[in-house]
Amino acid sequence: MTIARRTMMAALAAIGLAAAPSVQAQQRIEIQWWHAMGGVLGERTNEVAQRFNASQTKYTVVAVNKGNYDEVINGVIAAYRAKRQPHLVQIYERGFMTMLLSDAVVPVHQLMADNNYKVDWDDFIKPVAGFYMHKGKLMTMPFNSSTPILWYNKDHFEKAGFGKPASTWQELEKQLYEIKAKGIAECGSALAGDYHWSLIENYSAINDQPYATKSNGFDGLDTELLFNKTTVVPQIARLKKWLDDGVMQMAGQGFSPEQLYTSGKCATFIASTAAHGSVERNAKIAWSATYLPHEQGVTARNSTIGGATVWVMKGHKPEEYAGVAAFMNFLASTDLQVWWHQVTGYVPLTNAAYKAAKSTGYYDKNPTREIAVLQLSRGTPTANSVGFRFGNFTQIMFAQRQEFEAVVAGKKTPQQAMDDAVRRGNEILRQYEKLHAGKY
Amino acid sequence: MAKAAPARESGLKRAHFREPRTAYLLLLPQLLILALFFFIPAIRALAQAFLLADPFGARSQFVWFDNFTALLSSPEYQSSIWVTVVFTIAQSAITLFVAVVLAFATDRVVRGRGTYRGILLLPYAIAPVIAGILWAFLFNPAVGPLAHLLHALGIPWDPNRNGDHAMILVIAAASWKHICYDYIFLLAGILAVPQSLIEAAAVDGAGPILRFVRIVIPLLGPTFFFLMVMNFVYGLFDTFAIVDAVTRGGPAGATNILVYKVYQDGFINLDLGSSAAQSVMLMAFALVLTVLQFRYIERSVNYDV
Repeated sequence: MTIARRTMMAALAAIGLAAAPSVQAQQRIEIQWWHAMGGVLGERTNEVAQRFNASQTKYTVVAVNKGNYDEVINGVIAAYRAKRQPHLVQIYERGFMTMLLSDAVVPVHQLMADNNYKVDWDDFIKPVAGFYMHKGKLMTMPFNSSTPILWYNKDHFEKAGFGKPASTWQELEKQLYEIKAKGIAECGSALAGDYHWSLIENYSAINDQPYATKSNGFDGLDTELLFNKTTVVPQIARLKKWLDDGVMQMAGQGFSPEQLYTSGKCATFIASTAAHGSVERNAKIAWSATYLPHEQGVTARNSTIGGATVWVMKGHKPEEYAGVAAFMNFLASTDLQVWWHQVTGYVPLTNAAYKAAKSTGYYDKNPTREIAVLQLSRGTPTANSVGFRFGNFTQIMFAQRQEFEAVVAGKKTPQQAMDDAVRRGNEILRQYEKLHAGKY
Repeated sequence: MAKAAPARESGLKRAHFREPRTAYLLLLPQLLILALFFFIPAIRALAQAFLLADPFGARSQFVWFDNFTALLSSPEYQSSIWVTVVFTIAQSAITLFVAVVLAFATDRVVRGRGTYRGILLLPYAIAPVIAGILWAFLFNPAVGPLAHLLHALGIPWDPNRNGDHAMILVIAAASWKHICYDYIFLLAGILAVPQSLIEAAAVDGAGPILRFVRIVIPLLGPTFFFLMVMNFVYGLFDTFAIVDAVTRGGPAGATNILVYKVYQDGFINLDLGSSAAQSVMLMAFALVLTVLQFRYIERSVNYDV
């Protein structure tokens, strides 16, 4: 279906190009942009390129889906080694260090300065820009930034007499157990596929728990993981208990946790705010969303972002970089950001875009769309809530997930598992430090 | 008889290639392909195995045997070896056994033989990833119809949490995908069994099962041996797409077979050195296994008749 549609669109584009005056067609400089967005978000991403192409006559941005995030980063590595890299590539936030120290990218602030664009970097929303700044400069253009929020089924909570989910884990637990016990819903919560992000990393940030030394890796490569000494351990014990009691369900392979929620099986679902696009399209339930819960007696801090950014690859011609810079400028423009934020659920990039959306009364009609921004900018960020910056982050996360699975399978206690995850993670960090010593 | 064969073979070679240059010329395309797609990648993998490298290639360090020692001392790698042994042996045995039963059964069927064969060959045409997704869905504890059946029978089936269940699931999916391969060869083998031998046994009063066990199976010895080697190679190398779709190596590494770990560490985690070291070790395992099979099992295979 999607392939057929894509082929058809490509065919139509080809016809369109053929019909246009040939001089103009030749003048357009082509810019390749590889991305990892599929489904509804993929359609929107391609539309971004189409909007840019329609806005001017000098450049053509060709947006190509190269699979999921892992496949895109692999694809760009292979292409770079073969000297056939695209101009732009969308890389997940976990790949920040890999890209930053790869010697294969042009920092976005430098690109914009070289091409005489004056960008007001200070207007970028802090929790987003801060994640991708190095020594005070933005290294990569934020594109799709999101943060996890708590989605809930309004009917389930009203039937149980709660109105809405509680703000602390302790009270939420009582609510979910009651909803299940009363038979209002089959399960209290669906475990998200990226639970390490929402239930461990963001949990640490919101509850002001250190995840690693050196401001979670921001201050140096010699960082060491600490999450085995914090309330992450009881948090994992809690999740295990929920799973054992059937209050939480795992969708597992071959099925998506989002379906468990949108079908009305589970009363809540902790997932990215970017689920808005598909929840709005697919959910047959009365859905709503709220802030992520926090521990009792803790002042909740800001959550941190996930998603991806657009990196500029080295090795292209200056006139092509002029086009890249024009596209970046277009990406950061208020109009595009407002549109993108509204159709996808991703966070707007700039304060100007946020204000523009707010001034039209958009959030009065769509209150759940504002949660991400409010949650991201809640309170004063501490060293524990600025974000996470680790080399080989994907590997570390993978080790942590494996250890979590061992807990769920009943093979290890939460403490043993997180000790092992920290041991494995630190080995991975030392390997990265050894290779990149003095570069950060 | 046994002595005459090699003598004739060497005579044949000399008769046809008096001029060695022609022989080399004819071999060249094959050697080129081998060099390009096998030897060069293998040598590069070997070189990479001794490096600690940035994926983009900007920096690399020669680390001697660090990648290997790190692997051998890692509990995850040791468990992966064990998981691979269980998976490969179980998968090979199940595949061969079911294929034999099916080949015997379809050979016995008189009406609609072609249709049965066609249906049995179908899974081979399905891409591994699709097959994997199919199995993962059918046995998904939340929504899978077959998982519901198991629950109804009182079995607490949950491959997302129980490592043994996950293992059973990937073995079943991998075997299902490969049964057709074994089946084709066995069927061809059965058809090649001289009808006179079967008829003679029938005259002596042997029933179909006895005839199959006493006459057909021994005559299929070479086929069995070949399939055993092929099943091992399949289990060791070709199953990562199925594991990826069914369990992603989980839960907690319970189905993380060596070839999936190579893929996981190389392509997802971007640890090229470790991944290269793993593929070198995997190749060594496969080599040792094949040599052992040829040395010890082939001896009991009778190629005459």
